[in-house]
Amino acid sequence: MSSLDRNQTQTYWRSLDDLADAAPELKKIIDDELARDGEAAGDGPLSRRRFMQIMGASLAFASMAGAGCRWEKEEIIPLGKRPDNYIPGKPKFYATAMELGGVATGLVATAYDGRPTKIEGNPQHPSQGGGATTGFAQASVLNLYDPDRSRHFVRKGGTLPLDASWKSFQRFAAEHFSKLAQSGGRGLRFLSEAQSSPTVRALRAEILARFPQAQWHEYEPLSRDNEREGTRQAFGAPMRVALNLTQAKVIAAFDSDFLIHHPAALKNARDFARGRRPDDKVMNRLYCIESAFTATGSAADHRLPLRSDLVLPFLLALEARLARNPGASPKGAFLAEPEVAKFLKVLASDLLHNRGKAVVTVGPRQPATAHAAAARINALLAAAGRTVVYYVDEDPERVPHTADITRLCRDAGAGKVHTLVILGGNPVFNAPVDAGFKNALAKIETSIHLSDNVDETSSVCTWHIPRAHYLEAWGDGRAFDGTYTLRQPILEPLWGARSDIEVLAAIAGKTETPQELVRKTLDTVLGPATIDGTLRWRKAIHDGFVPNTAFATTTKAPGPAPAVRLTASQNAGTRRANGDLEVVLVPSTATFDGRFANNGWLQEMPDFMTKLTWDNAALMSPKTAAALGIHDEDVITIKSGGRTVDAAVYLMPGQAPFSIALAVGYGRTHAGYVGGLASAGIDPPGVDVYPLSTTKSPHIIGGISVSRTGRTYKLVGTQDHWKMDKLGMAEREERAALLIREATLKEFKQTPNFVDHMMHVPGHGSLWQEIKYDGHKWGMATDLAACIGCNSCTLACQAENNVPVVGKDRVAMEREMHWLRIDRYFRGDPENPTVAYQPVGCQQCENAPCESVCPVGATVHSSEGLNDMTYNRCVGTRYCANNCPYKVRRFNFFNYREFLDNPKNKVTSLQYNPEVTVRSRGVMEKCTFCVQRIQAVKIASKNDKRPIRDGEIVTACQQACPTDAIVFGDLNDEHSRVRKLHESPRAYAMLEVLYTRPRNNYLARIRNPHEDLS
Amino acid sequence: MDTAIDKDETPQKSTAAAVFQRVTETVSGVVERRTWPKAWYIAFAISCCLVVLLGISLWHLFFTGIGIWGTNNTEGWGWAIVNFVFWVGIGHAGTLISAILFLMRQTWRTSINRSAEAMTIFAVMCAGIFPLIHVGRPWVVYWMFPLPYDMDIWPQFRSPLMWDVFAVSTYFTVSLLFWYMGMVPDLGTFRDRAKSKIKAVVFGVLSFGWRGSAKQWHRYERAYLLLAALATPLVLSVHSVVSFDFAVSQQPGWHTPIFPPYFVAGAIYSGFGMVLTLLVPARYLFGLGDIIKKSHIEAMCKVLLLTGSLVAFSYMTEFFIAWYSGNPYEGFTFFNRVFGPFQWAWGIMAFCNVVVPHFFWFKKCRTNPWIIMGLVLLVNVGMWFERFIIIVSSLTREFVPATWDYFVPTFWDAATFLGTIGMFLFLFLLFLRYLPMIAMSEVKAATPEAHADHHGTH
Repeated sequence: MSSLDRNQTQTYWRSLDDLADAAPELKKIIDDELARDGEAAGDGPLSRRRFMQIMGASLAFASMAGAGCRWEKEEIIPLGKRPDNYIPGKPKFYATAMELGGVATGLVATAYDGRPTKIEGNPQHPSQGGGATTGFAQASVLNLYDPDRSRHFVRKGGTLPLDASWKSFQRFAAEHFSKLAQSGGRGLRFLSEAQSSPTVRALRAEILARFPQAQWHEYEPLSRDNEREGTRQAFGAPMRVALNLTQAKVIAAFDSDFLIHHPAALKNARDFARGRRPDDKVMNRLYCIESAFTATGSAADHRLPLRSDLVLPFLLALEARLARNPGASPKGAFLAEPEVAKFLKVLASDLLHNRGKAVVTVGPRQPATAHAAAARINALLAAAGRTVVYYVDEDPERVPHTADITRLCRDAGAGKVHTLVILGGNPVFNAPVDAGFKNALAKIETSIHLSDNVDETSSVCTWHIPRAHYLEAWGDGRAFDGTYTLRQPILEPLWGARSDIEVLAAIAGKTETPQELVRKTLDTVLGPATIDGTLRWRKAIHDGFVPNTAFATTTKAPGPAPAVRLTASQNAGTRRANGDLEVVLVPSTATFDGRFANNGWLQEMPDFMTKLTWDNAALMSPKTAAALGIHDEDVITIKSGGRTVDAAVYLMPGQAPFSIALAVGYGRTHAGYVGGLASAGIDPPGVDVYPLSTTKSPHIIGGISVSRTGRTYKLVGTQDHWKMDKLGMAEREERAALLIREATLKEFKQTPNFVDHMMHVPGHGSLWQEIKYDGHKWGMATDLAACIGCNSCTLACQAENNVPVVGKDRVAMEREMHWLRIDRYFRGDPENPTVAYQPVGCQQCENAPCESVCPVGATVHSSEGLNDMTYNRCVGTRYCANNCPYKVRRFNFFNYREFLDNPKNKVTSLQYNPEVTVRSRGVMEKCTFCVQRIQAVKIASKNDKRPIRDGEIVTACQQACPTDAIVFGDLNDEHSRVRKLHESPRAYAMLEVLYTRPRNNYLARIRNPHEDLS
Repeated sequence: MDTAIDKDETPQKSTAAAVFQRVTETVSGVVERRTWPKAWYIAFAISCCLVVLLGISLWHLFFTGIGIWGTNNTEGWGWAIVNFVFWVGIGHAGTLISAILFLMRQTWRTSINRSAEAMTIFAVMCAGIFPLIHVGRPWVVYWMFPLPYDMDIWPQFRSPLMWDVFAVSTYFTVSLLFWYMGMVPDLGTFRDRAKSKIKAVVFGVLSFGWRGSAKQWHRYERAYLLLAALATPLVLSVHSVVSFDFAVSQQPGWHTPIFPPYFVAGAIYSGFGMVLTLLVPARYLFGLGDIIKKSHIEAMCKVLLLTGSLVAFSYMTEFFIAWYSGNPYEGFTFFNRVFGPFQWAWGIMAFCNVVVPHFFWFKKCRTNPWIIMGLVLLVNVGMWFERFIIIVSSLTREFVPATWDYFVPTFWDAATFLGTIGMFLFLFLLFLRYLPMIAMSEVKAATPEAHADHHGTH
């Protein structure tokens, strides 16, 4: 099953090119025949006559070379002997890595019989949060089996699959690039998405040596270049800013979603949660100053909604205060507003008070000057080396992404580019509008795009090369801290796709396989091998990373503050008129920058804050909307300069006044059947907001005016909060306080068992003898003080348990299937509320209300206290769901696997976890506490004749959780973590008043507000 | 027009034989008449269309899934169970009239009991459809019945749905037997009067060789009495058991001990409403004024007034207990019914079930067929909405506010319900056309003339 060796003997042919290789004497004939065809094809549609001629010729050649075979021939040879360590149906685990935005994350892929089904974090990887994963990593396995991935090479002008293939590309590349080499590569350009791979880097160096006049560009729409440039301003050289939150007592985040949208989000989240252990009386304090409500903002103890363009003057004012240099402070009107002034004063004093234990972090969309200011503030706080770590950037010469793509477009527009190789990315869709990438591309004679599918960019390129998924190809990369991370393929490319390394190697004219190239890089990283390099190569592959390879750090002091010119808007107050609004383009929780648009899991995953699925929306605070005369779900026209975008409005409590947040990456026209495919008439989810992004202001766009179009648009979420009547809203607020119990640290210290005093629970007791669970007694604890609502658990559950995607229309009818949902409640002033999350899966009640009402006994109690679902027995009365007070049961209203009937989509079923039943239409399902994982460990421990160790069984949600908020274990084990947590004074059961005796307990949320601000 | 009740009812004095003869003629005449009122044909055509609609709805349902309805994760039952309870409720009047009023010697029942029983059977048939089709996998619905199974798996007897299966099937069986047995003497009459051979044979078979001998009459009346005694507790039990579906659960708005009597009262209320809905026009169309007398209609209106008041009292008790219990969840559920998003439905229900019956305090409202028709139609609507409120408004907002939702029915919800109305009408119209819609023998026994020899004037 291994794909270690790419150079296997081919036993079947894929195209005429392969055949021609097999029978060299035919090659010439075919080439001659196809050359004529190529001319005809290039000129326009083939005539029918010509088509028949080609087909006839093709068939004739095929029968000559292929011994008369007409179909693809495959030899299946059964194994005479079982390979070592291979047991059919037993999963294997491989270390690998995924790259996003130029940062690699070490992962472990679970594979059954050679097909990866599940992604986990690499727990040994030093730069990450244990075995946790981001939602994107969890969902990335679905991309591998995306039926809309390209299955063919495409060459413009050709309509037959014969026209393009890897072989023909290799031939084309050999010819084309050797011609180019003669001219030194004039007119040759490369455009890559951010890549940290040292192998790619080495190839790039070789290519640039071969083509001295060629240029290499890099572009990412959600780039962290402002941080680079800011640190360059402050330190004279670009740095990578990493947080060390375990040491931090006070954290101030400025427009920074460092817990979610950060390359080191997992580590940040883990460290952040480690600094919040109310039981040990350890609590950091988080201040958030941001425009759009982020998950980080919801974890904050204090949050100030502030327009993104006011963050810079706020930072400068903070710097002036910390430096005790009030003269340097900007004099903006908004700084005099009482709320802002008070916040600033308290924040400054708290930071100063915790010098050496405080840190300031600024988000990537803030301008470089803000990052420079943050660097100076961190220096004032003596943070460097303690709470913040500066890594030396490995490529200091690189031009910022927006400048880089602008340069490329300018040159192409001037006719200076005739060959462009685009490695990944989708610049036609996401490059700033004023760069004019699409027009520039049209002027380029030969454009080669390597991408997952024929996307917006590929469709206007002359070559499209299917790009291999990270689970299909050899590669490497560097983690956020620089740790060298290896990527090994788990399976052969499903559709003959190729990786960046292969394409670059073909261009560079190299003959080594990608595996050999990566191994060469490893040798460079580790230095020459003393004996035989095989052992260390195997170890590196096995571990997935090479320890002690992080970037160098520096504790350089920043230079003095330069004078910063602020705009008029940055000096004004917070209240604005229409025409002076601000749009902030934020990363999408579903599509990131648009690349995951065709991923159904992510599209259906409710956004952390809005709980919207399958759409982006213009987020506006209720007061702003009222001031503009706009209502929820109104479609508005957002105008910036001459460019407009129509988007539906979602009233988002806590959104900064007169600032509109829009998530990017929606409205794609060439994503696929999930993310939008214009050619098939599939409307995309959401609207494309990149047209508002310019090279000057890519993410924070001022001077916006909005107007109502008179239309409305149905936005679909999993929670219907702000469309609720007053009665319901009042009741919800009352109940939320009991469902998610919380207190301040002070209150908690005074009354540790405050959760017991929140609601009167009548003395319970059963009329019957209660069942004693003598063996195992599985239980779970969910720490609400740690939960940041990041959705990783929900996605992990979806991947582990074969949870189907149902689509927008069905989510609109409240038929989403997520076994684990995250309830989100707002509290307080709608302009600046606090938010609390509660992950709710099946509570596994001991007195389960669902069990007694099932007429056929399809849901029953196990001897270990699990509430089991027998899918085969379920007739689907839905009585259990009605009687479940937590509403965690999910019903298959339709056959959600119908799409598999289409042969094209069959490939998706390869992702299914074979340990979990795929449910049919008409049956009920719900969280099982990952019973398959419990059984696997039980079997293993029984085979080893030993008891199950605490922490050995890890549920999917628990494994993915970056903050370790979910703990699973045996409640009968006195020393188990879950038992200790259940005995914590913060522990309470959801709706304990019903005496359902849930096996899941929640630990109350503790906030740590500053006395002067609460 | 003048009130039909008054016009048709001209008291005539005559001998017992003549009276019996006239009863036979009138009732048999309905079936034997050559031309049928146009209204029957129109109604029949409409009901046929609706039956076809039911067929299409079920076809679509079986091939696509429950998802064609408006139910969702929060609200698992929706219209299917609303309709089930609605139809079971309607199925109450028949057996109540036949059995309980028989045991209580309410002779006015004789004019209406046959058609009320028929209505019961057809309504229970309509009701019985829903629990079978509303399940996710209707092809294994037989698992709900205690059938011998090679895996030795039995249904789960703790589930109220299981109790439903027994309660409704028992009720249907007993009602069917009761109805058919009561019809045997009249079928004999039809056989004797049959003019065509086919009719004679068919009715001959159906009447089980009834000859009307004293011995047969003796046996018949004993059996009838026994069945009546057997059916009486069923009238009370079946809707009590149906109410357990809700009362035994723990959802606020469902978990209420008042449900059994409250449901029974409501069922009788809706059942009488439906009897009147059917009989007032039938009486007019087929000229049965002599048999279904004004006083009978009035008596039924009074029953509506009584049971309607009981229903209203139950509502008040529910609200009182929701407040008095101090249970915040229960309290909110009831508050939410009145002021929440389903306020409109609650308003319809409250008007139809609390206000409407009180019109029957007025004699004019009990005697004018047009007013009666208007009011009883509202009773039917109100009782449907009562079940809608109980099921839908409770479920959409229960314990965890994050799961709160609104319920929107789909076209197929409505089509299925309309389809069962069509099926009900279809069966009832056929019954009118081919079977004795009035229990001739019982009516004869209840006429004053029948007792003239023994008691003098009645």
